[in-house]
Amino acid sequence: MHEISLVQGLFQQLKDLADENSAQKITRVTMEIGPLCGVVLDSFQFGFEILSADDEMLRGAKLIVKIPDVSYKCTECGHVEVIAGPRPEECPKCKDLLLIPTGGEDLILLQVEME
Amino acid sequence: MCDTCGCPSPSDHTHDHSHNHSNPKTIDVHASLFAANDALARVNREHFDEIGAVALNLISSPGSGKTTLLEHTIEALKGEINIAVIEGDIETERDAERIRAKGVPVIQLTTGGACHLDAAMTHKGFHRLQKEPGGDKIDLLFIENVGNLVCPATFDLGEHERVVFVSVPEGPDKPSKYPKAFISSQTFVITKTDLLPYFDFPVAEARGDALRLNPNLRTMELASTTGEGMETWLNYLRELVAAKKAQKNV
Repeated sequence: MHEISLVQGLFQQLKDLADENSAQKITRVTMEIGPLCGVVLDSFQFGFEILSADDEMLRGAKLIVKIPDVSYKCTECGHVEVIAGPRPEECPKCKDLLLIPTGGEDLILLQVEME
Repeated sequence: MCDTCGCPSPSDHTHDHSHNHSNPKTIDVHASLFAANDALARVNREHFDEIGAVALNLISSPGSGKTTLLEHTIEALKGEINIAVIEGDIETERDAERIRAKGVPVIQLTTGGACHLDAAMTHKGFHRLQKEPGGDKIDLLFIENVGNLVCPATFDLGEHERVVFVSVPEGPDKPSKYPKAFISSQTFVITKTDLLPYFDFPVAEARGDALRLNPNLRTMELASTTGEGMETWLNYLRELVAAKKAQKNV
């Protein structure tokens, strides 16, 4: 459950942003969670929910999650498959099993709404 | 946005309050949540480079034989390579005591519940390590992460290479079940191969699954207690240290 510590770090970042902008409430947080960043979406959402409920500035804040695409390049035929879903089992073109992913490894705070 | 009043969360509240929200503001941030850790990891890596040390981050489930492998590695490379160790565990000094008994500088990081090491803990740990006897002369630094195949995979500590271990009794399906650890590593070591006759562990299958996730993985198999496969492991370490020395002398 490293998701909780990541949410704690996020909240600190959000509070700093609110302070810089003289805001009292964070109302909406938009995140990009890469499918390969090692974060479980449900755990992150759960962490956001329980920690925000306990926090004056973040209570009721809405979490919006965007999942970016990942490119998988086949080492055999060079075909590139771009998907946001789970990792493909094999290359859809040549059925080779060795695919190298690019992207989807980051966890990014995209946008914050505050008032 | 709420059609009635333009407030940001239409489903979260009823409209029984006045609508004089003070200066609603939208800010585009686009900052990685890993940024702080990654920045400190880079500092760590530069620091290791400066003193000419190779740093390895060792990741596995609890009980895969990491500490035992380190004990045998220290014995085998005594007088040849100056080794130091940072031990990460949730509680106890036990692993550090085992390594200290081998006569190399070691410090124990106890995370007090956290399931992984991060760059900040590693940074503090390394400064403590440098104050230990022998800590001023390090060629090879092992950072033994908290036993866990999930969370440590997400945090760069500033290592040069990451090594993931799976022991034979754990079963061959670990790469498929915990892909991130294998995708982010450079080397995959299967340990306790002396137990292969007693367990159903198709080595080729485990290796194949890992390579499917990460075709660039270096793979090796060994048993620290019998010495089988140890030479491949030791040569891998020797090459890393030699490459770092060559880099430093350029």
